[in-house]
Amino acid sequence: MRVTQSMLSNNMLRNLSKSYTSMNKYMDQLTTGKKINRPSDDPVIAMKGMRYRTEVGNVEQFQRNITEMHTWMDTSDDTLDETTQILNRLRDLTVQASNGTYEQNQRAAIAKEVDQLQQQLVEAANTKVNNKYIFNGTQTTGIDVAGTLEKPVTLDADGNPVVNLDPADYRAVELEVTAGTRLQANVNPTNVYSQELFDDVKALSDALKSEIPDEDFDEFISVVDKHIDNTVSERADLGARMNRVELIESRLEGQRITARDMMSQNEDAEIEEVIMNLTSQEAIHRAALSAGSRVIQPTLLDFLR
Amino acid sequence: MVSTFNGLEMAKRALSAQQAAMYTTSHNISNANTEGYTRQRVNFEAINGLTSSREPGGIIDTLGNGVEPGSVERIREQFLDVQYRKENGKTKYYEQKAEAATQMEAILNEPSEEGLSHIFDQFWNSLQDLSVNPEDSGARSVVAQRAEAVADTFHYVSSSLESVREDLRNEMNVKQTEFNSLVDQVNQLNRQIGEIEPHGHVANDLYDERDRLLDQLSSIADISVKYEKSSGMPSPVAMGKATVTLNSGTNKVTLVDGNSYEVNHLHVELNDNNNVKAFHYYNPEEVEPDDAIIEANATIFSGDYQSTGQLKGLMEMQGYETGEVDGAGNPVEEGVYIDMLNDLDVMVNAFMTKFNETHSEGYDINGDEGIEDFFIIDPNAERPSLGLSVNEAILDNKDLIAASSQANASGDGLNAVNLAASYTDHLDELGNKTSVKSYFEGMIGELGVIAQEAYRMEANAGTLRQQVSDNRDSVSRVSLDEEMINLIKFQHAYNAAARSMTAVDETLDRIINNMGLVGR
Repeated sequence: MRVTQSMLSNNMLRNLSKSYTSMNKYMDQLTTGKKINRPSDDPVIAMKGMRYRTEVGNVEQFQRNITEMHTWMDTSDDTLDETTQILNRLRDLTVQASNGTYEQNQRAAIAKEVDQLQQQLVEAANTKVNNKYIFNGTQTTGIDVAGTLEKPVTLDADGNPVVNLDPADYRAVELEVTAGTRLQANVNPTNVYSQELFDDVKALSDALKSEIPDEDFDEFISVVDKHIDNTVSERADLGARMNRVELIESRLEGQRITARDMMSQNEDAEIEEVIMNLTSQEAIHRAALSAGSRVIQPTLLDFLR
Repeated sequence: MVSTFNGLEMAKRALSAQQAAMYTTSHNISNANTEGYTRQRVNFEAINGLTSSREPGGIIDTLGNGVEPGSVERIREQFLDVQYRKENGKTKYYEQKAEAATQMEAILNEPSEEGLSHIFDQFWNSLQDLSVNPEDSGARSVVAQRAEAVADTFHYVSSSLESVREDLRNEMNVKQTEFNSLVDQVNQLNRQIGEIEPHGHVANDLYDERDRLLDQLSSIADISVKYEKSSGMPSPVAMGKATVTLNSGTNKVTLVDGNSYEVNHLHVELNDNNNVKAFHYYNPEEVEPDDAIIEANATIFSGDYQSTGQLKGLMEMQGYETGEVDGAGNPVEEGVYIDMLNDLDVMVNAFMTKFNETHSEGYDINGDEGIEDFFIIDPNAERPSLGLSVNEAILDNKDLIAASSQANASGDGLNAVNLAASYTDHLDELGNKTSVKSYFEGMIGELGVIAQEAYRMEANAGTLRQQVSDNRDSVSRVSLDEEMINLIKFQHAYNAAARSMTAVDETLDRIINNMGLVGR
């Protein structure tokens, strides 16, 4: 084949430009750290990349949801713990009142403490976290009573607690913790802070203020026991759910690591490999330049007299 | 019997022939870097001995009569031109597609932290945040803002695609003008050549010019060239006048007629959606461009257009009618850009319908039923993806976002979860088991494949074209070394011819001046 000067220089120009193109590719990979920068570099990797990105985003979101779940559960647990202590104190007081050694004015003193405990129970029922009532089902901002939003438990004109939540209206608060899995975040207040509880405590207080015989308090002991039972069983239920949340949480963490790992494997450039490629490309480029400078320059004219 | 001065004449002819060759060499050297120049060669011809009718067989002696510079010929292989133009058309076709695909990839910008899918992910996250804190007005504001970002991103993508489509259309227009101008120029050269050739001249540099124009024409559309012999006494190496035909499958349209000097110009017809409908070819001398559609000599419908080149590349990226009709009787339109825009619209519609439906099933913070249109599409907008926006009512009052699945349950965020799921749930409008998310992934995957294919084919066709071009250059381009050697060769021959003239001169000098002086 006949080869002319212009062919030589054109070819050299073209090859140099090719060499620059691949150097540019390796530069891109090095500076972005990514194997691909556009879908056409590898459509499959691009599609997978989009999926893994969403995956990572989702898992992180669910982790955030779980943080919220913890807030609900931990506060509920603490409050239930406090409630159990209050009820235990009530039981102690009832037992004391029933053993027949107290005089009327001493019983009145117990009644005062019972009233205080009643107040504490009301406060527990009205616990707010993040400006939300946590013992009120889904009506976390309060209950609509005749147009105004009321606390879960309010006091009537006589100072007696009234539970505003109709047990029929109670709905569990559910949060999504993994795709499609919803867990209940709250405890059912109708099992704990029921109208019955407050009425029973009120009855106890009334009884203490009255002159009924001491042995009649035995009945109250079993009543208080029942409420303690209710609280403890609700707390046990909550504890079981907390366990589940912890399991899900550790699984999510695993998922997050896996998803990030997959994303990285899918699209991150192997730096060592890229640097190797770049170095060898650089060598080729230098060789091409020096070969070009030798081939292009001389012509027959240099050798003719 | 040879004339006394035959030797001088012969030497003179030799001198002028070698001189002509030296000038041609010089012409070659001058044009060593001229694009499209073909090296030329003087065809030396030996002159026969004298003939006489008195002698049997005519030739009286075998003495030669020297040389004459016959024709000056271009060294060119027509077959390589045909190959080159074929490959050039393909290369330019894929180049055009690759260029448009690059732009589309840049607009969609996936996978990245800025693209549409990321904006959707953020919207999904904000809805999830709302689901765990449905009573929080901050979470509500974030949802409203993210929803706006989704709408904005759709606007951006859609309008950017549309504006590239407009650019492609403008480029088509430019190509159409270029095409028509090239056709005219080739015709003009045909005329000039037709005037020169009958006198036996060879218009080498005009041929070069014409070949260059034909190369350019071949990058716009697939053409084939045939040569018509000029009338009169054309030289045997004369090329003649070119008849250029456009090939589109079995459809052939004569663009330049070498005999009648008639040309056909191109007019590209667009439909109402700015998609290519047909290519019309009309005689510009008889028909105004405005009437080209009605009075065309030939029409190729876009669905049948197979002439590989830039025009086809532009058409396929921009959008064209396939020639088929859909169920409603409307023409089916195809094209990478128009398809992407249509896909976006399908996605917007499906997502919006599902989202609004879910929204209306929920309850807002006041316990009222969710309003029916969270997202609205401006009916006057050119396309849904351009008209998508968040309902003003929602933006004004974030409490209207229906996050709860029940009335009077401000702490219930289940509907927000359902709203988030409109992005990930399978929607029948999008196809079998396809969600908005996977539909978009599919779109990007498809774009990736189209772009990859365009880049690969661009490289492949480019390599082939390069090979043919190398072959052509190998035959036709000027080699300076070779020309230098030729120059030396001709120079030596010139010097030798001068020496032989001196020899004849000396001989004649002997006869004329020094003879008949015996004993003087």
